[in-house]
Amino acid sequence: MIASIFIAKLRKYQNGFALLSLLFLSAGLYTGLVVSPPDYYQGEVVRIMYIHVPFAEAAMAAYTVLFAGSLWYLWKREPVIDNMCHAAAGIGILFTSVALITGSIWAKPTWNTWWTWDPRLVSFAILLLILIGYLMLRSFLDDPEKEARYSAVLVIIGFVDLPIVHFSVEWWRTLHQPLSISTRGVSIASSMLYPLSFMSIGLYLLLAYLIMVRTQMLYLEHLLEAKQGRLLSEVHSS
Amino acid sequence: MNFFKVIRWMVWKDLVSEIRNRENISSMFFFAFAVILIFSFSFSMDARSSRELMPGIIWVAFGFTGIIGLGKSFLPEVQNDCMEYLQMAPVSKGAIYLGKFAGNVLFLLAVEIILFPLFILFFNLDVLDKLPMVLLIFLLATIGLSALGTLFSALTVQIRAREVMFPILLLPLAVPVFIGAVESTRGALNGDPLALYGHWLELLAIFDMIFMIVAFWLFEFILDE
Repeated sequence: MIASIFIAKLRKYQNGFALLSLLFLSAGLYTGLVVSPPDYYQGEVVRIMYIHVPFAEAAMAAYTVLFAGSLWYLWKREPVIDNMCHAAAGIGILFTSVALITGSIWAKPTWNTWWTWDPRLVSFAILLLILIGYLMLRSFLDDPEKEARYSAVLVIIGFVDLPIVHFSVEWWRTLHQPLSISTRGVSIASSMLYPLSFMSIGLYLLLAYLIMVRTQMLYLEHLLEAKQGRLLSEVHSS
Repeated sequence: MNFFKVIRWMVWKDLVSEIRNRENISSMFFFAFAVILIFSFSFSMDARSSRELMPGIIWVAFGFTGIIGLGKSFLPEVQNDCMEYLQMAPVSKGAIYLGKFAGNVLFLLAVEIILFPLFILFFNLDVLDKLPMVLLIFLLATIGLSALGTLFSALTVQIRAREVMFPILLLPLAVPVFIGAVESTRGALNGDPLALYGHWLELLAIFDMIFMIVAFWLFEFILDE
């Protein structure tokens, strides 16, 4: 019964999330691309940041949802929570890829390289690999209950591992090569702060909306599968 | 049965079956031997570049060997339908994990110790006085690899495409082990003072502890039916 209440709640609120997200994203894009001035050092390239940073934040939020959902699933064994995890992982891959690609495009003119062994870059690459491994693991398991349980275990291991990856790369880098990159900006000007926070809020809302829609889709798919299975077994037994 | 007795029996059972058929250790050994041969063909090294590349070569070889060995560690249980019995056994699931894990550490460490003289032979290393430190690094890194590997082996053993999924899951998560192992091996082989690379040993030890605890706890959910 919890599942149907949960799904009904999602259906009730999803349009609100979509509308608000649309509002914030258009405000963010307008202030970011039109109103705000080009950066003193980076020029027009800085505008990629208004896409890149919010996507990276939202990708981490997606993994946090995935982690919390996995703990919840292992505790309560509620299939609809597993559907939510499945949804969050797929959308997490999308957001992580966008963050990595926009980061690369920004890094080329700014740092003059597509890729560098920066702790944040490596952690995001590992995050992407974990999420892809997660979906692959799911696709290879046939029993839905086992699929949910095993993939939840993987998510928890990955969540514990990511900070260690981050620290080990940080150590490794600081010992091996001088820091060629200083973190950007001393403090952020308010003309940059507005588009950044609008985009951030907008993408968090978009993330929530996408997870809500995808969760319902996966829930219905599983329901359909179960009903088809029941129909088939009825045909066979009669 | 009490906790430590379960661990002891698991290790003893794996050791006996390994001694009888010698499948796991010999396949790991000959695979790693082939890898070392390929490496010695691929790089023609003088003393200086050998110092640069050696730690990486050692840990690529050991990492792949570990994948071969660890990935199969639950396979005999599935082939003989023993998985169900392990699930039904009225003992702590964590003890089953620790038993399997201890067996894996023993096998992998044994292979590494047999292989290391081959590195000395092929790459002309001068290491005799540094052996204790190198062995300590091998032990710490092997514990870290096995802690993750044993859990993922149980996770992937019953699925299709087991051989592909195991390294895909293990390798990204084992990044800290590889960085720590390579850097500390480099320090040890160069004969640096411990203060210069000691923090990498700490990283390995911390990784080992965290993942032994997390995997010990999560293993219950894998064997749970």
